[in-house]
Amino acid sequence: MRFAVIGIGNVLTGDDGLGPTVVRVLDAAYDLGPDVEVIDAGTPGLDLTAYMAEVEALVLVDAVKAAGAPGELRTYGKDELMKKSPVLAMSPHEPGVREALLNADFIGVAPRVVRLVGVIPATVEVGCALSPAVEAAVPGAVAQVIAELKAVGVVARERKPPRAPDLWWTRKPVA
Amino acid sequence: MGKLITIDPVTRIEGHLRIDVEVDGGAVKNAWSSGTMWRGIEAILQGRDPRDAWVFTQRICGVCTTVHAIASVRSVENALGIEIPLNAQLIRNIIISAHALHDHVVHFYHLSALDWVDVTSALKADPVAASQLAEKISTWTGNSRHELAAVKARLEGFVKAGQLGIFQNGYWGHPAMKLPPEVNLLAVAHYLQALDVQRKANQAVAILGSKTPNIQNLAVGGVANAINLDSPAALNMEKLYQVKTLLDEVTAFVQQVYLPDVAAIGGFYPDWFRHGAGVTNYLAVPDLPADAKMSRFALPGGVIWNGELRVAHPIESWNDDYLRQNVTESIARAHYDGAWSKGPWEEETVPKFAGEWKPGTPAPERYTWVKAPRLEGKPVQVGPLAQVLVGYIQKHELTTRWVNAALAAVKAIHHIDLPPTALHSTLGRHAARAIRCAMLAEQAQEQWKALVANVGKGDVAIFTDPMGKDPRDPKGRTFLQRIKEDQGGVAKGVGFHEAPRGTLSHWSVIETDGKAMKLKNYQAVVPSTWNAGPRDAKDQKGPYEASLVGNPIADPKLPLEALRTIHSFDPCLACAIHTVDAEGEEVARVKVL
Repeated sequence: MRFAVIGIGNVLTGDDGLGPTVVRVLDAAYDLGPDVEVIDAGTPGLDLTAYMAEVEALVLVDAVKAAGAPGELRTYGKDELMKKSPVLAMSPHEPGVREALLNADFIGVAPRVVRLVGVIPATVEVGCALSPAVEAAVPGAVAQVIAELKAVGVVARERKPPRAPDLWWTRKPVA
Repeated sequence: MGKLITIDPVTRIEGHLRIDVEVDGGAVKNAWSSGTMWRGIEAILQGRDPRDAWVFTQRICGVCTTVHAIASVRSVENALGIEIPLNAQLIRNIIISAHALHDHVVHFYHLSALDWVDVTSALKADPVAASQLAEKISTWTGNSRHELAAVKARLEGFVKAGQLGIFQNGYWGHPAMKLPPEVNLLAVAHYLQALDVQRKANQAVAILGSKTPNIQNLAVGGVANAINLDSPAALNMEKLYQVKTLLDEVTAFVQQVYLPDVAAIGGFYPDWFRHGAGVTNYLAVPDLPADAKMSRFALPGGVIWNGELRVAHPIESWNDDYLRQNVTESIARAHYDGAWSKGPWEEETVPKFAGEWKPGTPAPERYTWVKAPRLEGKPVQVGPLAQVLVGYIQKHELTTRWVNAALAAVKAIHHIDLPPTALHSTLGRHAARAIRCAMLAEQAQEQWKALVANVGKGDVAIFTDPMGKDPRDPKGRTFLQRIKEDQGGVAKGVGFHEAPRGTLSHWSVIETDGKAMKLKNYQAVVPSTWNAGPRDAKDQKGPYEASLVGNPIADPKLPLEALRTIHSFDPCLACAIHTVDAEGEEVARVKVL
C-alpha cells in the first residue's frame, strides 16, 4: 500500500466522529484505486505509528482544536504536525497524532508526505451525531482529501452508482 | 501539610488522568487519583438490539477496542444462556492473546520504559560492550554491535539536529535514573525493534478479525469467520499459517527480549521492588475458555486478600455467583447524583458536577468522574500482577514456570534473590506484565494448535444464532421465548474478560417479548476504573492512590517516581475517561457535561 487515508476520532462523542464519517463518505462515493487504503481508525493513539510505517503518503482526517468557528476547515502539513513549540492545539487525540509521527520519524519510517484535514468541532460531548455545522462541513472535507490525494498523484474516480456510506453509529435505537 | 503536586495529565497517549500527591520529607504522604471526563456508554446503548452492542463498545476506547468487543458479546451470550461453538472460542482466544501481546509490548517499550531508561545516556554507550552484555542475557539476534552502533548513530543524529523527537519530554539526567549507558542503548534498540513486533501481533489480529483496530468478525453467538480449509475466501490453512508465522516472531521477541529486558532493567532498581504495593487485594477472572460450555479455562482466576499468598476464593467460572453478587460501584466521592453503592445491573448513572478542583488545593469531597468499584466492599487491584499471583499460588503450571523464569533471570544477571512477595510493588507490576506476556505468547500457540486440530476433525461450526432455537431447551423453544416464559422477559448477563489491564466486565440487562430484544441497562466496569478509582464512602483509597503513598520524590518539580508507580499500572483512562480537551503540554481544561 503506497497511500492511506485515515479517519481519526470517536464516533460516540459528537463531532469527534468527523474523521470516521469523512473517510466512510469518501470511500462510498469514490474509487481511489488499489494503491490507497481507507481506514476508519477510531482513536488509535500511538498505534497510529504502525499505519504510518507502511505508506509513503498519508492523509489524516480529524476534528481539530483551532481558533475559528465550528465547521471551518483547516489543513496542516508534516512540519506543522511535528513541531514542538508552539504546540498546535490539534485534535482531541493530541498528542496521539504528533507523538505517533515523531515516533515514526525516529524509527525512520515516517511517510514522506503527511497531511491533516481538520474540521473545528462544535461539541464533543457524548452522542452519536455530528452537529449541524460540522455535518455541513463533510462534503468540503471530502473534497479537500481528494485534493490532497491528487497532489501526490492519486486520482479519485466517482463510483457509479455511489454506495451508501455505513455510518452505523448514527442509526437510532429501534425501541 | 506538605507540598502539593499536581501531575496532569499522566498518560502519554489517550485518556485524561490527574494525580495529586502531597509530598513531605522527600516522600508521598497522600495521593488522589481523578479522571476528568464522563462517558455514558449506557446512555448510548439503552433501547438498542443487544447484538449491536459490541460494535459500539468497541469504540469506547481506541486502544482497547478488541477487549470491549469481546466482553460485550460474552455479556449478551451470558444473559441469553448461549453456548458458542468451540471454533468460535478458539478464534476469539487467538485474537485475545495476539491483542494482549501487542498491548503489553507497546506499553513497556513505548509508553513506560522511558521512566527507567535515560535515552541521552545511551549516547555514552560503547556498542561493543553493550552487545557483549546482551549476549550474556539473551540469544536474541538483534543485539549485534553493528545493530547497536547504528542505533547509537541514529540517536546522535537526532541530538545533533537539536531534536529528540519523541523523546523530548523525558526526565533525562534525573537523579532517579540508574541504568549504565550500555543498558540504556540496548533499551533504545529494543524500543525501535518493538514497533515491528507490535505490528506483527496486530497483523495476526487483523487476519482473523478482518481489520484492526476495530475487528469485524465477532457476533453474539460466535464469530463470522467462515472456515473452509480449501477456499481462498474463507479462513483456510494459508491464513492460519500466516497467523502462526506472525505469532512465532512475536513469541521470540517476548521471550528473548521483553522478559530479559525487564529483569535486566529491574535489577538496577531494587528499591522499586519495595515501593508501590498499595492495595494488595487482587482479582482476576479465568480466561481463554477451552470448551464450548466455558467450563474449563487455560488461565485461572481467583481473589487474594491483604497480600496473603493464598487464594481466598478461586474463580472457576464466569457464572461464579460470589463474583456476580459482590461487585459494586460507589459514587460517594465522584461527580454523580447520590452517594449509593450498587451492583452494575442496578446502576442509574446521573452525572452531577460538584465543582472544579483547583490544583494545589486540598481535595474536595467529590473529586473525580471515575466510580469506585469494590469487591465485598473492599478496593481490589486488577491487572497482570493479579493475574500472575492468583495463578502462581494455585500452582498453575504455565504461570509458575514463567514466574520462576523471571526470578531466575534477575538472579542470573544481578545476583539478587527476589522472593515472590517482591512482586507486590511498582516493578513487580512490570515483571508480572512481562510474565503474563510470555504466558500469552505460549497460549496463543496452544490455541492455534487446538483450532487447527478441531477443524481437522471436520468441525467447521462458528455460530449459534441467538434468535434461533435454544438447543439445550427441553421444550424446543427459542432463546427469547424461553426468557419470556421462564424469566418474565428479563435476562441479566455479565461478560468477563481478563484484558491486558485486568478484569473487565460488561453487565447487561436485556428485555424481550419473545420475538425481539433490547437493552434495558448496560454498564462497563473497566480495569482502569478498578485501579484508578477514588476513595469510597468509607474513605478507603483506590489502588493508584494507595500505591503512591510512601513513594520517594527526589525533586518535587520533577516527580518521576510518582509517574513510575502510576505507569506501572498501564493507565488507559480513555476506557474510564476520555480526553476531550488536552491542549498540548498545558494543564487540561475539561468540558463538563
